[in-house]
Amino acid sequence: MDEDEPLPSYEGLAAAFAKAKAEKERDEAQGLRATTGNAAAANKQGEVHFKASHGILIAFFSWILALHALGIYLFTSGFLLTRLVLEHRSHCSVPPIDVAGSYTPGSPDAGCWHPKTFDKAIVIIVDALRYDFTIPFHPTEPEKPRHFHNSIPFLYDTAVKHPNNAFLLPFIADPPTTTLQRLKGLTTGTLPTFLDAGSNFAGTAIDEDNLIEQLHNASKRIVHLGDDTWHALFPGYFESNLTHAYDSFNVWDLHTVDNGVTEHIFPLIHPSNTSQWDVIIGHYLGVDHAGHRYGPEHPAMTAKLNQMDDIFRRMVDQLDDDTLLVVMGDHGMDAKGDHGGESDDEIQAALWMYSKRDRFGRSSPSYNIPPATAKERPVSQIDLVPTLSILLGMPIPFNNLGAPIEEAFIGPKGNDFQNLATVSRLTAAQIHRYQQEYTRGKGLDDTTRATALSLWDTANGAWTSLGGSKRSTHDQLHHISSAFLAYQAETLSICRALWAEFDVPRMLHGVQILALTLLTLGLYARGLDGERAELTPILLTRGIIGTLLGAGLGMGISFAFSQLPREHVVIYTTAVGSIAGISTGFWHIRRRLVSPLPNSIWGWVCVTVTVALSAGFAANSFTIWEDEILLHFLCTFGILGALSSFRQKNSIDRALGCYHSILFVVLTRIASLSRLCREEQMPYCVSTYYASANSSTSATWQLAIPYTVAFLLPNFIRSYYKGTRNFQGSVVTWFDFALRFGLLLSAAYWTLDTADDGDWYPGYGEMLKTTKTIIAQLVFAIALAFGYSTFAWSKPFLNIETKTRGATSSSDQVVADGGTSSITILGYANVHGSRYAFLVTMWFLAITLVQKPMGAGAIGIAWWQIFSLFEIIDTNKLSDTPVGPVVLGLLGSFHFFKTGHQATLSSIQWESAFIPLRTIKYPWSPLVVVLNTFGAQILCAIAVPAIVLWKQPPKKKGLLGDVAKAIGTHILFYAVINLATTMWAGHLRRHLMLYRIFSPRFMTGALVLLTVDVVAIFIALGGARISFLSVGEVFGWTG
Amino acid sequence: MSTGIQEPQKPKPSATPIDILNNDTAKIYTHIHPILVLSLYAYKFQSIVAEPVPALSESLIWLGILQIAYAAICLPPTGGSAAPVEKKKPGEKKRAAPSKIESGVNGKIIPAFLSLVVSVAPATPLLAGILVLFGAPITTHHAHTLLCAAHISLLTTLPLVYVHGVNGETWREIIALLRPIDEVYGCMIGTVFGAWLGAVPIPLDWDREWQKWPVTIVTGAYIGFAVGKLVGGTVLKGKKIMFD
Repeated sequence: MDEDEPLPSYEGLAAAFAKAKAEKERDEAQGLRATTGNAAAANKQGEVHFKASHGILIAFFSWILALHALGIYLFTSGFLLTRLVLEHRSHCSVPPIDVAGSYTPGSPDAGCWHPKTFDKAIVIIVDALRYDFTIPFHPTEPEKPRHFHNSIPFLYDTAVKHPNNAFLLPFIADPPTTTLQRLKGLTTGTLPTFLDAGSNFAGTAIDEDNLIEQLHNASKRIVHLGDDTWHALFPGYFESNLTHAYDSFNVWDLHTVDNGVTEHIFPLIHPSNTSQWDVIIGHYLGVDHAGHRYGPEHPAMTAKLNQMDDIFRRMVDQLDDDTLLVVMGDHGMDAKGDHGGESDDEIQAALWMYSKRDRFGRSSPSYNIPPATAKERPVSQIDLVPTLSILLGMPIPFNNLGAPIEEAFIGPKGNDFQNLATVSRLTAAQIHRYQQEYTRGKGLDDTTRATALSLWDTANGAWTSLGGSKRSTHDQLHHISSAFLAYQAETLSICRALWAEFDVPRMLHGVQILALTLLTLGLYARGLDGERAELTPILLTRGIIGTLLGAGLGMGISFAFSQLPREHVVIYTTAVGSIAGISTGFWHIRRRLVSPLPNSIWGWVCVTVTVALSAGFAANSFTIWEDEILLHFLCTFGILGALSSFRQKNSIDRALGCYHSILFVVLTRIASLSRLCREEQMPYCVSTYYASANSSTSATWQLAIPYTVAFLLPNFIRSYYKGTRNFQGSVVTWFDFALRFGLLLSAAYWTLDTADDGDWYPGYGEMLKTTKTIIAQLVFAIALAFGYSTFAWSKPFLNIETKTRGATSSSDQVVADGGTSSITILGYANVHGSRYAFLVTMWFLAITLVQKPMGAGAIGIAWWQIFSLFEIIDTNKLSDTPVGPVVLGLLGSFHFFKTGHQATLSSIQWESAFIPLRTIKYPWSPLVVVLNTFGAQILCAIAVPAIVLWKQPPKKKGLLGDVAKAIGTHILFYAVINLATTMWAGHLRRHLMLYRIFSPRFMTGALVLLTVDVVAIFIALGGARISFLSVGEVFGWTG
Repeated sequence: MSTGIQEPQKPKPSATPIDILNNDTAKIYTHIHPILVLSLYAYKFQSIVAEPVPALSESLIWLGILQIAYAAICLPPTGGSAAPVEKKKPGEKKRAAPSKIESGVNGKIIPAFLSLVVSVAPATPLLAGILVLFGAPITTHHAHTLLCAAHISLLTTLPLVYVHGVNGETWREIIALLRPIDEVYGCMIGTVFGAWLGAVPIPLDWDREWQKWPVTIVTGAYIGFAVGKLVGGTVLKGKKIMFD
């Protein structure tokens, strides 16, 4: 009390007391005066209370994460297709139908069901050998051949010059076009189901009848060389002393596998060693890796194809008369050299068979020239299974659905229709036997395959009417063969439809769980009045009780009704129980509930944008053009921010708000120039992410981008700290030294990478590789090890300045009177925000490293935009609205596209796993791929707490609850997107574009939601704990 | 959006909604005008789809004439009240009569034409810039984008400049959506919102000729203009937009 006025009356005393109390509270709130009484004890209590509240928030959000995971799991297990795998095996002595003529079946040496043609076989798989690589390039217009054209002419030339010794055909893969799936198809003859597609990182043994097992059981000695995926699929079937397997995932490495195969295969083919084996399987990976690394339009592809060409010439020279040589691609590659999807370029591989003796033929002379495009006379990849089985005298694997390839059975004169009809009949009969068993195993009736059965009867009738007589005409036999093949084709199409069989109850229950979780989260994030940290314990407790009751109930039900699937029932009741539990919690605090619907234009814009985006995922066009839609929405928000800033009364707020809003929009547009187009966007989109549309390497000029980022961006972001004088203490070291150094190292990494790719310094490749790996690890160490230590142990970014009286000080500093001088706390205005936002800068560095040069620019812009957004939110006083978290959601989704990704399998940048490591190491390699793929969403999720902490007073009450609200809202945004994409994928499950568009978008949405959940809980909310403790240590705790 | 619009708490004298002129011609023409504008667009639509640049240029002239007519006939000029010309002194009656056309040209057409120049010249590049920010092609289709911006600026800013002039503070209020809603302001908001919504059909895979740039945007702007004018002049007249 400075003014000592006389206070005579009671009212005067009361007023003076109230005034003094208010002053004390104000001072305490500003942290200038230590709380009186047992201040230390109260402070300690405040800290304990904070830690407890924080722990409960972590638990609550983890519980939301668990519900998301359960819902996604239940839906996925019903959505991704399943097929009943039959254990039956074909046996050499048991043909599927009476064998025609005088042939006695049952001897592997002569041929099990049909006389064999070859004793031995060399099967070479050239991974990703696309059909148009193998045929001559005939330009339709004045167009130059690409690097992948005319580089492997040997296959075509032999097929044209020696049609009886060789043929070349398009070889169509069933999607997904991943190697593991393809190998299953190529050995079992069945169709893949989608569930298997995800297991490419860890292949599992094939437990169906397959060609390799048949060969093994017939005591054939099989040698395998190359891609080690084979060993995961067929453990123990190969001659261990001759077999050499190589790691298949190191896509950086173009030569190790190929040189290994070549080194070991030629000695084996040498006449002195041919007695050691019966079948050799060689799997070359160089073409595939060249595609992944450089794209097909690159000199490395030419070199690789030339090398393959040379190898096949040498093989043919050494081949003996009774050995069959097969060369094939397991899939193709898209314009960038990647694969996995079902576009034409990805499914069109090549098949070439060669024999020294005249074994092959064509039914028409016009077929002597291999097809000019893969659309003419293609064979399916599963057709290899019966073809190879019969040629080698093996029984056809039980589950095969493929057909024999005409060229292999028609005879050198092209007229052996007797043979063709016989093998077609055998194959069809095995398919018929398989279908009978499958129908029985599934408990299906015959209605679905009525057409197929009538085709079978027709074909058999035609065969019986001939009575197997030798004098039947070619036309009759040709007709019979066609009839059996018609049955095969019809069965195949039935199976394709049948195995698109969805478990609808599981999908519905998964969607229900996701929807109920969404409602819960929506009510929590937007429908609670007051401090969330206080209300969370009751919700969590009720939720846990509900979870336990639900789980118990589920166990009870599944024991009582044993015919119900237990896992499904337990998951469903657990999730529903926990949501019911939390609902009682909400009922308990019903007085604190408010309508979660927005009550302002800002709120409605947020809802509209989220719902519009989600609704758009029902249309394939809006899904395809998501990047442009996000650009539109982000600009809308920026322009609205500018309009809103114009409304501010304070002219500084107005100017700052306008500046940052316009900056935000302009940066969004600049970032939008970085594009990686998906196939469906063509021709209205030009890819700029890589050097060209046919490449997956960066152009040399793009190396300037990471250097620009390193030199300029730290200065720009520093200014957001300097504005409130928070550029103090360890943050100075961080920005001016560590961060900049890290960014420069990251730029250096990509320079070395380009040098290595382009072979700038021949002979130094190994040194470059080692150096760049070390650099990458160093950047990670700076970002995460050094970064987290600084983040954990530094004080708030403040400084204290003492000035003599009279010196003017800025209004956002706190001034304490001290006689003739005043004390100013520099950086007081943004203690919380600046302290927490440090975390964003650390993760920015880590994420920048794993993005390609163009992506470094995009992520840098995202980083800048995040800080601009903080200012927009602050000057327009929007921290309580959903604007910040929703715009961060849009921004994260937008930059996902700008860092060279799309919602497709083939756009995953697998090679990023090798940035900090030279080999696959779990769990780090998948984590790096996640950091590369969802880097933008991760960065934005980390920034969420800073939205509500930016420029808040240190001791403002309920800040932790505000953080929870913001995080809840941010997760809510992604949860809405996830629910929508899940529902659309389920609803459109018969849509033509399911696998191309809706299913990948669903998977992206689910993965993003789970990633953002984990990041928001453990990195953002976890980081907020460190930041709050650090501020609390200096300014004390509020109750 | 309805919750965001409330009655003004303290209507300042400078921020009252604009009323159209209080004469029969104005009252009738204000309803005919949006019909004429939409008819013009509907008439030109086929040629705009076929050849956007020449067709949009030509219809721009017609739109300019219609908008000048609208401003001159229906709207009070800057600083003027709703009924400025009705003050006549008894003795001047005869002298005013021969100059009626002249004063009509001097007092209405010329300001309206000036408004056109003043509004379209700065607004077109600005709006074109905003269109590019929202995703219009950067390197191609410049004429298309500029013409689209010119159409939007004729629809939005010409009447506003005519009634409000070029006062900085007034324009801050206009941009900040702080003015009470009236017919003219409704035109602006409706046109901009319509143009915004016009982007929706572009990505759809319907393979229609009219999906090309910038047909849908211009169409949305025209429809938004008519709707905004109608709603702004009737239901929402006098209301203010509240953001929070």
